[in-house]
This record gives sequence, C-alpha cells and structure tokens, in this order.
Amino acid sequence: MAGPACMLPMRRLQTRAPEPTPEPAPEPIIVPPPVLSSSLPPKGDQGLASALGRCAKGDAAALRELYEAMAPRMLGVAIRLLRRRDLAEEVVHDTFLAIWQKAPGFDPARGGAETWMFAILRHRALNVLRGEARSDLVDDFEPLALVADEPDAEAIVTALSEAGALRRCLERLDPVRRHAIVLAYTHGLSHGELAGRLGQPLGTVKSWIRRSLIALRECLA
Amino acid sequence: MTDDAQDRLAAEYAMGLLDADEAALAEALLADDPVFAGLVEDWRARLLELDATAPAEAPDPHLWSRIEAGLAQPAGAGDGASAARTPIAPASPPAVLGPDAPDITAPIDLAERRRARQQGVGLWRAAAVTATAAAVVLAVALATVIRTLDRAPVLVTVLLAEPGRPAAVVNTFPDGRTELVPLTTVDVPAGKALQVWTLYDRERGPVSVGLIDVMRSIELGLEGLPRPAEDQLFEITLEPAGGSPTGRPTGPILMKGTADRAL
Repeated sequence: MAGPACMLPMRRLQTRAPEPTPEPAPEPIIVPPPVLSSSLPPKGDQGLASALGRCAKGDAAALRELYEAMAPRMLGVAIRLLRRRDLAEEVVHDTFLAIWQKAPGFDPARGGAETWMFAILRHRALNVLRGEARSDLVDDFEPLALVADEPDAEAIVTALSEAGALRRCLERLDPVRRHAIVLAYTHGLSHGELAGRLGQPLGTVKSWIRRSLIALRECLA
Repeated sequence: MTDDAQDRLAAEYAMGLLDADEAALAEALLADDPVFAGLVEDWRARLLELDATAPAEAPDPHLWSRIEAGLAQPAGAGDGASAARTPIAPASPPAVLGPDAPDITAPIDLAERRRARQQGVGLWRAAAVTATAAAVVLAVALATVIRTLDRAPVLVTVLLAEPGRPAAVVNTFPDGRTELVPLTTVDVPAGKALQVWTLYDRERGPVSVGLIDVMRSIELGLEGLPRPAEDQLFEITLEPAGGSPTGRPTGPILMKGTADRAL
C-alpha cells in the first residue's frame, strides 16, 4: 500500500482544482474496534487486592465481587484465545476456583491483583489450547486465516488506549512484527503457528519476536 | 547480557510462547529466583493492556453457581495442585506451582514448603539471584536439544551453585530415565571427582547416582531406586577420585536443587 508521503501531493493537486465535487475526507474506513469493556474494574486494583485478601479469609462474597468485576472480561479473553465459548467458560470456572484457593498466596507487594488473576486465566487457557490443539503447526498454513488475522491484529492495537504507551510502542514496530506479537499474545499462537500464518521461516519469526520484545521493553521503560 | 537472556525467557513466558522444555525451565527459575519472578511480573504488567481489548462477554448465568458449588474446598487449602485440577485440561499436568499459580506471587504455602525443605541451607535460597546469561543460554540450548529428540522431561531440577547461579539441570523423562546436563564447568582438583547424589528418603539418606571426573552430561544411575518425585533433592559434592569412601557425601556441596514438575 502506498504510504501517505506519495498520496499527499496528489491530494493537494486535486483540491486546488476548481472544486468539482468536494473530495471525500481522506479518512480510511475503519472497522470500529471491538467495544472496550471498561479497562479498569469498578473498584480499581486496590479494591481487587482487598477482595483477594477477604477471599483468603474465606469470604465467598468477596469472590463474588471479583467475579462480577472480572468474569466478563476474562471470558472475553478466554474466548479470543480458545475460540470456543464452552471451553472458555470452563477456563473461567477453573480460574475462579484457583483464585479462591490461591488467594492466601497473593502478595500485593509483588504485583497487581489484576495481573495476578489474568496470569491464572491465561495460564489455564494456554494449557487448554495446547492440550487440545497444539502440535507442530508449522504446516498449518491457512491463507484465509492470514487474511483475517492482520486486520484483527490491527484492530486490537487500535483498541488500545490511544494515550497508552503500549500502543505507541507497538506502533513503532514494523507491522508484520507487531502482528506477530499481538497474535501471539491475544490468540495464543506459537512460534510455529506464527511462522505458518506469516509465511516466514521459523527462525525468522523467533528472531523477530525476540527483537520486538527488546524494542518494546526499551520503549516502555 | 545476563539480563537479556533472562529477560527474553521472562518475556516469552509471559507471552505464552515458550515450548514445554523452556516453560519448565522458566517455571523452575520462577520458583527459586525472585529476580526472575520480578521480570515475569514486569512483562505481565506491560502486556496486560492487550487483554483489555477483548470484547467482554457475559458468562452463562449458571456459571457463578457452578463456581460457588466448587468452593467447598476451604480457601488456601492444600497446595491446590490436586484440589484445583481442571477437568478440561487433559494435557496440562500440574505445573510447578500447582496447576497455574501465578508464580510471581508464589502462594504462601508453597513458599513455606520450600523454606521448610531447605531449612539449614538458607545459603542456597537466595533473596536476589541472577542466573548467569551463559547458564540460561545453555539451558535454552539444552531445551532445544531435548525437543529435537522428541522427549520432554516430566521433572526438571535446576542445580544452583550459589543462589541464582544455575550450574546444572537434572531432567527426568517419562520412562524414569534421568540425566544430568551441566551448564557450567567446575574446577576439579587432581585426585578429586564429582559425585552426584539424590535424596528421596531422609531415613535412607543420600544415595550416589553418578560419579564424573569433569562436568559432563551423564545418565544418572537410578536403577533400583524409586522413580524421582517432585521435591526430590539432587546435589553434587566434591569427593576423592573413585567416589566417597563412606558411601555418603563427605566433601563440600558444589551445587544442589530440588525437582520441580515440568509443565
């Protein structure tokens, strides 16, 4: 696709012409990003942490609060990873039981409550994903999926907070590398699957990921 | 460089990109290395915002009541590994810290268990530890070798030479075969040898499972011993050439570690 640098002069020429029909705004048609659930839980991370503290003391009402605050977002994440609602609900189910059981081990000094809970969710979902479907998927090249994944990866980036550092830093990456990072994280694609989807050798994809993660870390520092 | 190798592992662990071998290594480091755990936590926090881009979905109205019914287990009971065994993850044996403990926040009971089993050797349990880059790189290379041989260990023991310095890995495979793979070299004085021990039964005491003159990969002689289990101790001591004269460790412990379950 032509870069904006090539487009601009053309446009200027056109607009200087004796105004035939008004040129449509050069806005690209943007598929609206997925509706963002409130990115912060109603109670904030401190509220989540204190609810975890009450869970640790056996207060089931606190778990219910966490469920109300987190379950819909967790289910969304799990569905995106697993592509199957039934499996995703099972993962959410198991995640809340695990939260209940592990709450005494949660230490707010060592990390955020939301991060902690999502780590449980993601770990479970990825285990299911691998257990159900993982093998060597390098050969699983799906041209259709390739077409479908790129806009998806871009829509995910677009859905990130415009003011946020993560979006700014992801946008600094070469698009293909950005897609690789986003697809790996949000859809649980392995190196091999990424290689297949992106039509690149495995080693290339691995090195892209490594370098992109280093670039991200530096940009986010 | 040290930091880069560790950070790469932490980042790809948080991304969910590690294969089984590397994930097992990461889990083992997470359990023993607060610095590594901190790196993983940093990455999780950096990437968390991506999870907020998934459209929220209302769960089935019955989901909560199913969860509630499962709360019979008292909070924090046991180590959760068996209690929280998921019915839908057939290929996900319990991870190092239980089925999926966010290792950054190793559950208290686990931390205590570890403390208990390592009592008296606080030296080995470091506060801050930084694995050497070489060690991690080698371990990763090792993981690759293992993968290409199409066999993944079920137990991984990282032997630490000092807090945060992995010096060797002991891998136990599904058939019980157990191998020692060095990550560093060790200066062995003339007339001395390296003896590998395992402790599976405190009453019986350490049992010799290998004797080498220099650090090299060997298959450990576990024939006739119970199959290695989680938390089983492995260590290497410096002994006279030919092995300890007493059948028990007599020299200094050069490295040691306890077995963790691979993912």
